[in-house]
Amino acid sequence: MTEQVYTVASDSETTGEEKSQLSFPDVAIGIDIGTSNCSVAVWTGHQVELLKNTRNQKGMRSYVMFKDDTLSAGVTGGATREHGHEERDILSGSAIFNMKRLIGRMDTDEVVQASKNLPFLVQTLGIGVRPFIAALVNNMWRSTTPEEVLAIFLLELKALVEMHLKHPVRNAVLTIPVAFSRFQQTRIERACAMAGLNVLRLMPEPTAIALLYAQQQQQLLHDNMGSGIEKIALIFNMGAGYCDAAVTATAGGVSQIRALSGSTIGGEDILQNVMHYLLPDFDSRYAGQTMDRIKSIGLLRMATQDAIHKLATHDHAEISVDLRGDYKVSKILGRGEFEKVNQSIFEKCEGIIKQCLADAKLAPEDINDVILVGGCSRIPKIRSVVLGLCKKDDSYGGVDPLEAAVSGAALEGAIASGVTDPSGSLDLLTIQATPMNLGIRADGGNFATIIPTNTAVPARRDMLFTTTRDNQTEALIAVYEGQGKQAEDNHLLGYFKITGIPAAAKGTVEINVCMDIDAANVLRVFAGVVKPQGQAVPPFIEVRMPTLDDGHGWCGQALAKMYGSTLDLASLPKKLHP
Amino acid sequence: GGARGGGAGECWSCGAGGAFLSCGACGSVQPVDPAVDYFRIFGLEREYNIKDNNLEGKYKDWQKKLHPDLVHSKSEKERAFAAEQSALVIDAYRTLSKPLSRALYLLQLEGIHIDEEKTITDPELLMEMMEMREAVSEANDPQTLEKIQSQIKRKFETWSNSFQEAFDKRDFDRAVKATQRMRYYERAVEETVKKL
Repeated sequence: MTEQVYTVASDSETTGEEKSQLSFPDVAIGIDIGTSNCSVAVWTGHQVELLKNTRNQKGMRSYVMFKDDTLSAGVTGGATREHGHEERDILSGSAIFNMKRLIGRMDTDEVVQASKNLPFLVQTLGIGVRPFIAALVNNMWRSTTPEEVLAIFLLELKALVEMHLKHPVRNAVLTIPVAFSRFQQTRIERACAMAGLNVLRLMPEPTAIALLYAQQQQQLLHDNMGSGIEKIALIFNMGAGYCDAAVTATAGGVSQIRALSGSTIGGEDILQNVMHYLLPDFDSRYAGQTMDRIKSIGLLRMATQDAIHKLATHDHAEISVDLRGDYKVSKILGRGEFEKVNQSIFEKCEGIIKQCLADAKLAPEDINDVILVGGCSRIPKIRSVVLGLCKKDDSYGGVDPLEAAVSGAALEGAIASGVTDPSGSLDLLTIQATPMNLGIRADGGNFATIIPTNTAVPARRDMLFTTTRDNQTEALIAVYEGQGKQAEDNHLLGYFKITGIPAAAKGTVEINVCMDIDAANVLRVFAGVVKPQGQAVPPFIEVRMPTLDDGHGWCGQALAKMYGSTLDLASLPKKLHP
Repeated sequence: GGARGGGAGECWSCGAGGAFLSCGACGSVQPVDPAVDYFRIFGLEREYNIKDNNLEGKYKDWQKKLHPDLVHSKSEKERAFAAEQSALVIDAYRTLSKPLSRALYLLQLEGIHIDEEKTITDPELLMEMMEMREAVSEANDPQTLEKIQSQIKRKFETWSNSFQEAFDKRDFDRAVKATQRMRYYERAVEETVKKL
């Protein structure tokens, strides 16, 4: 780990000349970093292939083990040493997992709060700074960060790919949840840079699956089995950490993402719910991690996990686990009981699908295929909720629920690297849509949306604002992303000031704020005075977002308190845009 | 070239004539020509009642020629053209695919701009709005909501027809009034969708 190569992709944009030199060995690999499992796939020249580790697994556990002076990740699973890691080793306190749930989150985030009963140390102050995370090494907590853990994992993954391909790899396409903020995306890019990987694209998971689906539809057409008319698919993806939905309209190899929606709910929440149901005093019993408590949490997690897996195919599952200290959980959990305990999760899944259909302006009858993927798609209740809402008897059978996302990422990797295939199987295009509203704070703490959710990318939109005080010469542009009505309910991406505004009565100056997302999903904000015009107004400002590093919980509040009223803007009634 | 709605020109890359958005000869993406109107992109007449049910197909055909993802091996200059052309075609498709935005765009091409939050003064419309809001908020079952929704959609249709009539006669005052009604009914439909 001392020989890490730091290549920070975002600080030096690749020029056209460099990109045009791409040759076959530079084809980007596809990576699906899951909360629980990870996989990697490559374009072999005529198809996508998932790579296996030395334990012959395509899906590798996502964790990093901190032991003595050695670090090892779930890619090799400790197989280079005498014994591979067992699940109980991973839950012993020495391993960090669920990185994807923790990365880029502040300690006020409820997802971080809920992570405090994982069998490693997650310490929070609850003030909007990054949480303190540590693994147990020789009976001591050793600190680390989600980015570092992910980077170590990716280094092992990169080594695996290079062993298979027998040449160095540099570029990668990674899948991310729809609910990931742009700030979280920068953290993934940071981890990749630490591992020596250049991120070519971060693809929302369901859109990677949409790409694979588009390829299969094209294939059917070539084989004279498809009709060639547009097909609409609803993709529902639920893993251990996140749940996403997308509606895609595919024709002629071109997929238009009509709508995206997602949330931070997944198998981890189901697991936590069942553990709390089995042991109602779970939180108080296990607050403050001592060695024996960590062991008990680990044992309960394993037993609960096994039971949930069993309930996918059985009506009942028996849980019998000795938690030490004369505590024993012994119970037969029925499927109905399990579904009742997790009712709120299934309701949220329903909400995500309904939102997605409404945003795509589609009725269930318009959907040709329902694609169910991710580990949680095995849960019967999830299947029935999704299929029921879409009024379908069965889901699309053409994809493997655990391999679809990484396969789509590898396809995108080949396409984005400029690979063409004589058979036309890479003659594909996905037109992405924005997963969240983008806008600025205005009108006293409100969120003024400039680029709304589900806008096709590349996109450029602008909006006019005006001053809120007489002779206001400065204005704060605070850029947010999210679905909340108030600015503070959203993720702060960055901020800057417009200075030198000509002194005038309030409401007379016009300030234009323009947002631009290019095909590589880079967001730029342009702002400046458009009325009055002339030499007396300051030049426009262009800012690439996000600019914020850490502690944006603090930051938003501080900005609102210091400048909220003095540097506020008011939105102007729009000239009607067609 | 040079027809109304922006013309095709000489390709910046190979010099071939008739290059429109992208060059038919060498496939190079052309710089954005501000004179090109959205109807021209889809090969349509500049009229409200567009006779085309394959707008999405044409839109996707353009994206296969223009999308920046597909020209990544080209020069930085051409990739910038691709980003702009692709965004333009997205806007064109979005605008023409929906009746209200299509109507507003036609008015814009005639030099008529409308303020969004214009206060409604027509007492008849105000009364109707109040009644409809009440009906939507009181409706508790999907059947009732669907019924209200189809009523609103019919009213939208009526005003859409009257827009066409007014626009064809170049009676822009009436056309503007029709778009205001259409906007209002469109919002009302959205309200019912939210509740459904």
